[in-house]
Amino acid sequence: MSRLVSIGGAILFLSLVLYTSFSALEYQWNWESALRYKKKFADGWIATLWISALSLFFAFLIGSLATLCQRVRIPLIRHLSMIYVELTRGTPLLVQIFFFFYVVADAAGIQNRYVVGIAIMAIFSGAYISEILRAGIEGVGKSQLLSAKAIGFSEYQTFRYVIVPQALRSSLPALAGQTANLIKDSSLLSVIAISEFTLNAQEVNAITYSSFESFFPLAFGYLILTLPIMRLSRSIENRLRFET
Amino acid sequence: MQPFGESFNGVMRLFSFLPYLSKISICGLGIALMFQLGCSKERDTQILVVGMELSYPPFEMTDENNKPTGISVEMAQALANRLGKNLRIENIPFAGLIPALKTGKIDLIISSMTHTEERAQSISFSNPYLHTGLCVLVSQSGDSNSIEDIDQFGAKVAVKQGTTGHIYANANLKKAEILIFDKESAASLEVAQGKVDAFIYDQISIYLNWKKHSDTTRALLNPINSESWSIGIRKGNDGLATQVNQFLADYEASGGFDQLGDKYLSEQKAEFKKLGFPFFF
Amino acid sequence: MKLELESVVKTYGTQRVLDSLDLTIEETMCLALIGPSGGGKSTTLRLLAGLESPTSGTIRIDGNEIAHENQQLREYRQRVGVVFQAYNLFPHFDAITNIALPLEKVHGYSRGRSLEKAGMLLEQFQLTNHRFKKPAELSGGQSQRVAIARAIAPDPDIVFLDEPTSALDPEMTAEVLEAIETLIESKKKLLIATHQMGFAKHAADTVAIIAEGKIVEVGNSSQVIDYPRTARAQKFLKSYLKF
Repeated sequence: MSRLVSIGGAILFLSLVLYTSFSALEYQWNWESALRYKKKFADGWIATLWISALSLFFAFLIGSLATLCQRVRIPLIRHLSMIYVELTRGTPLLVQIFFFFYVVADAAGIQNRYVVGIAIMAIFSGAYISEILRAGIEGVGKSQLLSAKAIGFSEYQTFRYVIVPQALRSSLPALAGQTANLIKDSSLLSVIAISEFTLNAQEVNAITYSSFESFFPLAFGYLILTLPIMRLSRSIENRLRFET
Repeated sequence: MQPFGESFNGVMRLFSFLPYLSKISICGLGIALMFQLGCSKERDTQILVVGMELSYPPFEMTDENNKPTGISVEMAQALANRLGKNLRIENIPFAGLIPALKTGKIDLIISSMTHTEERAQSISFSNPYLHTGLCVLVSQSGDSNSIEDIDQFGAKVAVKQGTTGHIYANANLKKAEILIFDKESAASLEVAQGKVDAFIYDQISIYLNWKKHSDTTRALLNPINSESWSIGIRKGNDGLATQVNQFLADYEASGGFDQLGDKYLSEQKAEFKKLGFPFFF
Repeated sequence: MKLELESVVKTYGTQRVLDSLDLTIEETMCLALIGPSGGGKSTTLRLLAGLESPTSGTIRIDGNEIAHENQQLREYRQRVGVVFQAYNLFPHFDAITNIALPLEKVHGYSRGRSLEKAGMLLEQFQLTNHRFKKPAELSGGQSQRVAIARAIAPDPDIVFLDEPTSALDPEMTAEVLEAIETLIESKKKLLIATHQMGFAKHAADTVAIIAEGKIVEVGNSSQVIDYPRTARAQKFLKSYLKF
């Protein structure tokens, strides 16, 4: 009960701050014009949903592959994978979008910007996911590796039954965070005119000159996507808990 | 001393007895009050704040030292001098100019903005200072020669977010797909690479973009509509509006625009003369 | 079992833990390794269990040299059981799975057979009620007994125990020592490194004292512990008698 009260109190406080900041502006609110374009918002939201879901799927594949490659014995593969991860994490997404779309995809003759957009997000997030998984794997206690050795597990068996289950559990919070990041970062695809949520909201803003009335639904729309992921991750974490 | 100390303690004790929620609200109101006091409307009236997007040569651009320069900048400076104020230029993306004007962040918009009915519902416009029209940049290959040729199913047309090209496309293109960019350079690059079939923008810019991609694009410089550019003023700011219009009349009379035309647009002037288009000012 | 260690050296980086150790025991059922911490008894045990390879020297058990490279060494490890001081069990599996999984994946038992055998062993150690608990939910003594069950589940030739009670309080220590006694009674070959002198004397038949990387004294358990011959051994054992 008291938890509800304190959350309510916090929201009330924030609303008060927001309200007074806005009334300090001389702003004429114009909700009707933004409402007229609700189909645009809906279409954009669905596009973002699809793009995020597909990118996430491929990002996990790419990220897992990159992590595995870093454990392989062949130096060339290890180094290629490390370079990919460091370059991708070290450069801005905007730069990568322009580079991949206008240079790489153009040279490869791939015209469909949605395909390229999903590929870019998958490659970008894959690098972050790879690092998260790597940290999870290395976080598994060394004593367990010894234990696995003692019972006669092969390296593969150790990886499969001991390391992976625990690495996934401990990576879960970071992976949920990265998923939320992917959804939000996908808004940057607007610069290559992919008609996703943010671009559509910007368009409504440009047509109706109502920034806040366009951007509040935008923030809300992203929250609907990211909040459930955080909550889901929490509940899975709790169910899989095995420490006292 | 003593009674003060006791009553102070008393107040503190009372405060701690109040329920949690009320305490939060009191703190919230306190901060809100500070907001109101802090955001006093005493703005420095010695500065004229002009908003423009500095990525539109030769009207709004920056030089090597990252200082604003261009036709609109010189106009703004002349206006500020006339009003006896210091000039400050705010570099704001085009689609954000009207919101910035409405919320009082800038005093004027001098950003090659077209006077449209819809915009006039949100802000006021001065008298026009330049006449131009939209036209189209198309790829070298292909045989489109007019906007009608372009408006086909499967065709892709690029526009810049919030411009009259964007508005025109939304209103008039029935079959082609409209792609929205916030950078003019991205849009023209896409025409050059064949990713889109056309880019709708004003004559001057289309000309300049064509020069940049002269072997991969063609410019269809016949205007598809006619527009005039004005200075944007906040609704209700009638005093400033009158001053601006006065300034524009005087500036024209004294040959200010001709000078700007010769300084920045000499090549276009010659080229358009050849093509038989009327020049802008 | 017959144990032969000839000039065994083990270095970790610059640290020389075993310094040309020589040990020959013709026949023993239960050998206890005792000695000061850091003296090399755990290392010796690990070398004998095939968990590590010596830097130089040879080790033979029952006449067979322990291999140095991977595949054969892994096969050897599958024939012996090991219990560590702590962190034996996998925290994400419950007790019964911890025992059954190696049976299924390493020793080729069917899923049903492995669970059945695991259940039997848990009953033997009076842990049936705890079989679905994760290691975090077990007490120290309980989890060590599960570890012992896991070690003996595949009927290993030898069971190695590396200070199995050092992390436990006296009550749990007793629990675990009792469990180990049942192993000895069932004629399992055991090699145990321990600080429990009483247990070493009483349960083991041979005792070897290892200090500073060398064998200090070796022989019949009662004899070595009660009547140590070398000065080093006497010094070591005196500290036990002091308190």
